[in-house]
Amino acid sequence: MKYIDTIKRAGRSLKNAKARTLLTSLAIGVGAFTITLSLAAGEGGKSYTDQIVNANTSRTELLVTKKQPVSSQGPQVYDENAVSGAAGAGSATQIAFLSQADLATIAKQDNVKTVTPNYRPSVRYITSEAGKKFVVDSIAAFSSSVTGAYAAGTVDGGLSSSEIIVPEEYSKSLGFNSPQDAIGKTVSIRADKLSSPVTAPESKDFNYTIKAVSSKSGLAFRTQASVQLSADATRDLYTYINQGTRAYGNFLLAAVEINNASQANDVKAALQAKGFEAQTAEDLLGTVNTFINVLLGIVIGFGALAVLTSVFGIINTQYISVLERTQQIGLMKALGMRRRDVGRLFKLEAAWIGFLGGAIGAGLAVIAGTVANPFISKALNIGDISLLSFNPFAVGGVVIGLMLVAVVSGILPARKASKLDPIEALRTE
Amino acid sequence: MIEVKNVKMTYGKKQNAFVALEDINFTIPDGASVAILGKSGSGKSTLMHAMSGLDRPEQGQVIVDGQDILTLKEKQIDKFRASKIGFIFQSFFVQANETVSDNVSLPLEIADVSWGERKKKIRAALESVDLLDKIGNKAKNLSGGQKQRLAVARAIVNEPQIIFADEPTGNLDSVTGEKVEDMLFGYNKENGVTLIIVTHDPDLAAKCDIQINIKDGRIESIRDTNEVEAVAEVVADDAPTDAESDGEEA
Repeated sequence: MKYIDTIKRAGRSLKNAKARTLLTSLAIGVGAFTITLSLAAGEGGKSYTDQIVNANTSRTELLVTKKQPVSSQGPQVYDENAVSGAAGAGSATQIAFLSQADLATIAKQDNVKTVTPNYRPSVRYITSEAGKKFVVDSIAAFSSSVTGAYAAGTVDGGLSSSEIIVPEEYSKSLGFNSPQDAIGKTVSIRADKLSSPVTAPESKDFNYTIKAVSSKSGLAFRTQASVQLSADATRDLYTYINQGTRAYGNFLLAAVEINNASQANDVKAALQAKGFEAQTAEDLLGTVNTFINVLLGIVIGFGALAVLTSVFGIINTQYISVLERTQQIGLMKALGMRRRDVGRLFKLEAAWIGFLGGAIGAGLAVIAGTVANPFISKALNIGDISLLSFNPFAVGGVVIGLMLVAVVSGILPARKASKLDPIEALRTE
Repeated sequence: MIEVKNVKMTYGKKQNAFVALEDINFTIPDGASVAILGKSGSGKSTLMHAMSGLDRPEQGQVIVDGQDILTLKEKQIDKFRASKIGFIFQSFFVQANETVSDNVSLPLEIADVSWGERKKKIRAALESVDLLDKIGNKAKNLSGGQKQRLAVARAIVNEPQIIFADEPTGNLDSVTGEKVEDMLFGYNKENGVTLIIVTHDPDLAAKCDIQINIKDGRIESIRDTNEVEAVAEVVADDAPTDAESDGEEA
């Protein structure tokens, strides 16, 4: 018997028992629905974390620190080169900072393009022509490889040393009616020279033109609240503030730009061998991803449980079907249909049920997900990112996988059918 | 030609053993119409099963075209049935939810007949049983007589050598029954197909060339309407001795 004929006959038998077929496949559909949604959430979650990476750091960027002294029992051994506490304020623990020599070592490493120390200048305040003064939480160096979201203005052409990016909240507080209104206006930042004697404090105002207003984003942790300056301007500020202090020239952190994202782990290993700690973008998000994966595992587990339940449903339905169609099976065998073909007919019926259930479940999941996506994004405040992203291959894979599961569940009833004695089956009395 | 030699069949084991067929010997020439006549429980259906390869007697030979089908493996017997045999049953066994065309198509699908040929054969078979106009109908919408004609179409569609009909008219009224009978005998005569009818109806049996009477699993008599003399010999040989000596309980 030809495969295609068997498939058609199997399909027709199911059509003759529509309600039963549908109910049986719905059981498998529940599993398909759950698994498809979980896979979509996994896919979406990964692209979400990916976007977080791109919004905060870049895959070609490593965050490098000096290897910190291992804490052991008893007092820490004093290190001549390490700086005690924050900015050498004389704290109980010593933190190892990156010195200029360290930076030079890192820069000489293969595949390293640039090394930018994390200047993090601490300034007094920021103000505009309106006159109100505001504290600046942090000043970050602008990096073109980090994807930012902007309410107004553009930084496509880069950021010059006299330009600034302010967060949306600042632009409002600084007295601008709208983000658009702030573009091109001047703000000034007051910085204190730390090395100046207490008796004759020295301060300076730095003026910048607003190039862009960064908008709040569900993704960006680093740049969200930061005022951003160009790398040069950040360095200038840092130099003015810290020159002449003990901490000057020592940095907790440096951003290392490498040539190619695929080299991230090699460079990391090389730097670790030289006494540095390096974090790649993946390291940063490893924890997040692990969390997502664990959650997904649980949900997929529930889906698998639903599929397992439906397996028994299929076995049951097919068994009853075999009993109901004893005569038909007997006739087919009397007409010379081979055991193998009879078994195949029932396995293919099971496959149809699996396909139907898979298609219904996965289809509903895609529809539900597509409808729910905007609401989820809104509820989680993650902008226009879709947390449920359906990969056609994954959806197809789910359907095919469930068909296989169905075929496996159909094996027992199919065996029963193929072993049926035609004489017994055709006895009508 | 079909030769049945020394066929013996027993059901059950030891004390409960029940001899369904014993000492069955006869020969059927190609193209003959044969009635296997007997009461219910006489073993006539069992004989049909043995001759068609559905059942395996533990003793004897069933030789069709020089090949003892009892020595064939299951696969080969399936093939033998699919290619050489057509079946008609008392209860029709047409698939009610399938169309007329799909019902007739089943033996062709089993025998792996190609698509193009299938269509032609289905039409020809339905034509000869006068059901071509019902080709797209569901079988459940047919009357009893039409169902049995459909079964006839299914039996002849793959041009078998032998057609087994088990009480073909048992579920039909006499008028429709006669129509089906005419169709069967007509096909038998026109195409030279061997027709073996299992029945308890002497009137139907009388229309056949050869009547084989079965009683308690043994051949009581064989009558050949065309060659009365030749068969009378066989009857003289076998019948009187066996019929009395074994007192089997049915």
